[in-house]
Amino acid sequence: MSNVNGKRFLKPGKYLMMGNVAMAEGALSSGLKFFGGYPITPSTEVIEHLAKRLPEVGGCCMQMEDELASINAVMGASLVGAKAMTATSGPGLSLMTETISMAANIEIPFVFCDVQRCGPGTGFVTVPHHNDVGLTRFAGNGEFEVIAFAPMSCQELFDLTITAFNYAETYRSPIFILSDAYLGHIHEVVNIPPKEEILKRVIDRTIPEDTTGAKFTYEDINTHKLMIPKPYIVGTEFCPPLIIHLPHNQDGILMPEENSLRFMKIMIDKIRDNIDKISLTEEYKLDDAEIIIISYGLPVRASYRAVDIARKKGIKVGIFRLITVWPFPKEKVKKVVAGAKAIIVPEMNYTGVIAEQVERVTDLNIPVIKVPKVATLHHPDDILRVIEEVAK
Amino acid sequence: MNRYEIRIVGYGGQGIITLSKMIAYASGICEELLVTQTEAYGAQARGGRSWAEVVIDLDRESKQIDYPKALKPFDLLVILSDAATKEVKKEVIKKEENTGLLIWDSSTILGKFRAASKMKNLGLPIQKMALEKFGNIVYGNTILFGISTVVTKIFSEESAIETIKQFVPSSTLEKNMEAFKFGKQKAEEFLTQLKEGMS
Repeated sequence: MSNVNGKRFLKPGKYLMMGNVAMAEGALSSGLKFFGGYPITPSTEVIEHLAKRLPEVGGCCMQMEDELASINAVMGASLVGAKAMTATSGPGLSLMTETISMAANIEIPFVFCDVQRCGPGTGFVTVPHHNDVGLTRFAGNGEFEVIAFAPMSCQELFDLTITAFNYAETYRSPIFILSDAYLGHIHEVVNIPPKEEILKRVIDRTIPEDTTGAKFTYEDINTHKLMIPKPYIVGTEFCPPLIIHLPHNQDGILMPEENSLRFMKIMIDKIRDNIDKISLTEEYKLDDAEIIIISYGLPVRASYRAVDIARKKGIKVGIFRLITVWPFPKEKVKKVVAGAKAIIVPEMNYTGVIAEQVERVTDLNIPVIKVPKVATLHHPDDILRVIEEVAK
Repeated sequence: MNRYEIRIVGYGGQGIITLSKMIAYASGICEELLVTQTEAYGAQARGGRSWAEVVIDLDRESKQIDYPKALKPFDLLVILSDAATKEVKKEVIKKEENTGLLIWDSSTILGKFRAASKMKNLGLPIQKMALEKFGNIVYGNTILFGISTVVTKIFSEESAIETIKQFVPSSTLEKNMEAFKFGKQKAEEFLTQLKEGMS
């Protein structure tokens, strides 16, 4: 990229950018200082690009010996105050789950990009398949909530990566970006805003200035509200004396077993209580829709086209798009689908992970129709056909 | 949405992906239109059957290109290898008067290419001409870019030249400019013939 004006921010303007690169640039704009990773198809361009770019911003891009070392290095970097991320694909994610679970437990913020490919196992390495959607929700032992984004364009890969880093800081949790082999390699025009505008959007990592900086998420005794302090930074004045990966109290001290439930509740409710703020959704032609498409990621773009064609034929159909897939916005979905004739869920996987979530919260009278696609994109006609059948 | 669909098929190493990126750059960056470029990924991009697609939204009011892949029928289809001729059928090309064109390389397609005669088509020995006129087959790509500039009418000549400057090494710029002009000229001749044929 010849247009780099030195450091963290690209010169404002339009760039023809690959998805993986757009995401890496979004991370740099957020103030990324450390990337730890092990190259894997189809995510390799992320580490390639950051190996060039991170030294320019005084950061470090470290290719580790494997995925376990990578994710632990990311966690270590975040512990000492660096905004950190990794990028991998399904097989890498399954290796990294142990550390993700631990990071959730000790509230370490970082961003995790999963450029999904076709599994299970090694699978087909160069084709897209949204088959890690379920794994990200349950990435690791123990109970914890995760936040996962599903972008659908290069511009969104840039923008939502910034949001992901902000969420990591705010909710002190690993945040997932669910890209895929296709999205990661599309080239589209990405509009890079001026540095001042980006900085207004970014939540920086700052050194805590009082004792709350030593605290883990806690319940305020007066208001009973969950308080999520700024992430602690090891080595600074206000930092917990002990960080243990076991159920702990607000000071990081091991909790008696009988209080574990309280600990779990805090870990999970810090996300669940904030679901209205966390969950990002988009509506398209939903006002009078009788048939509702619920989808995320690239299938949404095929759905736009299918809906536009169906609307011309007089079929009342609209789209409810999940920009954040996890936490699943149960209440929003319930409200949107109330009274619908049918729900169509196009997903780039066979089992329909989100379709099952939709089924869970929907009235039994409303049919939920899966439109599975594996290893390739939905053609708009795949979705249109189902819409027309339902509308009959 | 007013989609313009381009598909380029051939074998890895011909510059298919570069050509698609050049078209995307000229339309998306220079002309500020919405574009989506997608390409073959994996071993095929380095040899064997390879492809690339560009979708350009001619409607300036649009906010986003819906489906990212090129949809049949195409506005422009470029076929550069024998194997790729199999996907050419009458219905894959638009039939409107102002669009729908097949471009093919008669120096790499050696077998019979009957389907081509059923549509507006421009067959030129592109690689051969590149080698004879400019000394290297890689200039075939720039010839094709020159042809595309004329036949798509989406981006101006200035935009095309700016794009070439972005994409080629400066030491080869002069030769690339010649190849571009040569391609442009061939396409203009073709369009004139086409017009005459119609009238």
